[in-house]
Amino acid sequence: MRKHTRTLFVFAVLALCAGSGCARKEPAPQPAAAVDPAALELFGILPEVMESKTNPVTEEKVALGRMLYYEKRLSKSQQISCNSCHMLDNYGVDGQPTSEGHMGKLGDRNSPTVYNAAGHFVQFWDGRAESVEEQAKGPVTNPVEMAMPAETVVIAVLKSMPEYVDAFKKAFPEESEPVTFDNMAKAIGAFERKLVTPSRWDRFLQGDQAALTDEEKAGFNEYISAGCQTCHAGTYVGGNLFQKLGLVKPWPDTSDTGRERVTKSGADRMVFKVPSLRNIDKTAPYYHNGKVATLEEAVSTMAEYQLGRVLTNKQVRAIVAWLRSLTGEIPAAYIQEPRLPKSTAKTPKPDVSE
Amino acid sequence: MPMPSKTKKYAAWAALAFVLAIQFIRPERTNPPVDPAATFEAVAKPDPQLAAIVRRACRDCHSHDTKWPWYSLIAPVSWLVADDVEQGRAHLNFSRWNLLSPEMSKLRMKEACREVRSKGMPPWQYRLMHPEARIGDEDVATFCDAVDRMP
Repeated sequence: MRKHTRTLFVFAVLALCAGSGCARKEPAPQPAAAVDPAALELFGILPEVMESKTNPVTEEKVALGRMLYYEKRLSKSQQISCNSCHMLDNYGVDGQPTSEGHMGKLGDRNSPTVYNAAGHFVQFWDGRAESVEEQAKGPVTNPVEMAMPAETVVIAVLKSMPEYVDAFKKAFPEESEPVTFDNMAKAIGAFERKLVTPSRWDRFLQGDQAALTDEEKAGFNEYISAGCQTCHAGTYVGGNLFQKLGLVKPWPDTSDTGRERVTKSGADRMVFKVPSLRNIDKTAPYYHNGKVATLEEAVSTMAEYQLGRVLTNKQVRAIVAWLRSLTGEIPAAYIQEPRLPKSTAKTPKPDVSE
Repeated sequence: MPMPSKTKKYAAWAALAFVLAIQFIRPERTNPPVDPAATFEAVAKPDPQLAAIVRRACRDCHSHDTKWPWYSLIAPVSWLVADDVEQGRAHLNFSRWNLLSPEMSKLRMKEACREVRSKGMPPWQYRLMHPEARIGDEDVATFCDAVDRMP
């Protein structure tokens, strides 16, 4: 009889454990001003240039890329440039849930920031582009974005302006026919590869203990304690893996199934590129559809659906305090809008038809 | 004062009824399909000794290749086991290594090294039932050294 009582007792304890989760060891947050050095090893400092093996960054490419980035004549209406949705003086975003393209048409996904993006492992929320050079081609011919009817039209626009032809020759001196859609994308990519925003977080990683306040250090400890670094880690605090949205708790809105649309694999249903949290405080609204307005909501929703945890308001505020330290410096001189080449008689006119 | 035998009887029946009732709360025990090209072995091409430790000590909770033991059919243990597997797969999944960049691949393993070194992983209750999953000090060193050498 006693043996059975003991067995029942053990099961009862285990059942209680299941309820309270005591079987899982959770580290207690460190006191403020003390940050676990092992946790810091999971992060990295921004480089000065996000280099590419296939598109070396040169002065001439950057100069051309900067012009093309601001060039509205790369759009059908001649009203939209890369800068329209990825505003360089606004942390690389337009602050909209989804952006307005040609004749006010809306896209279905939030425009990610261009800053530091070149260092990510893939581009777009569904990772369909391998690099910023690949990405740059997409919006130009997308009917709800810049809506150019064909690559040949883009080339015609560029070739109509001798200053552009010259700039392409300088940027791609080895090529007999340098004005190509590919080279347009390469120049824009090269320009983007220097769009880095070093922050106080980087200085802290380099050893400057004073770069973060005690509140921010406590926030970092809370971030690690919650487990956020499982996905948002590395040099870009994200931007380096795919993950399922609704990892632990199913995501209620399945209208956009993310990467499944690209790979056609059921295993990739609701899988998206994990965004970088650098400058996150300045790049609202949040998530792939831009439906979450505040950082506090983004953090507590992430914890609930990705980690299966309910964070207290205090914990959320602490984490947000640390996230603010990821806001970096915009390279003001580098992003100055240049003088753009003048249109000629050959330059196609704006087309505001649907 | 000893319990009257009638109360003892009721208590025993109630306990039995409770145990039977909770068997109807069945957690999910699924092994999603594994794409061989998406695994840790195929993508990260790890040191064979590291791969061997992962296989024997981590697979049940951290992959789609879970071996569900007999006691994972019986509540409340079944809830604990299913929860461990769900959480394990969410935090680290050796069957979906294709989702990670090379940077993240190494960072995940660095975290795994931290957990293994601190004896936080595998969890004590898992080691109790799976003695072959114990990671001794030498194996910890092998594990963490191999992680350090990852590209």
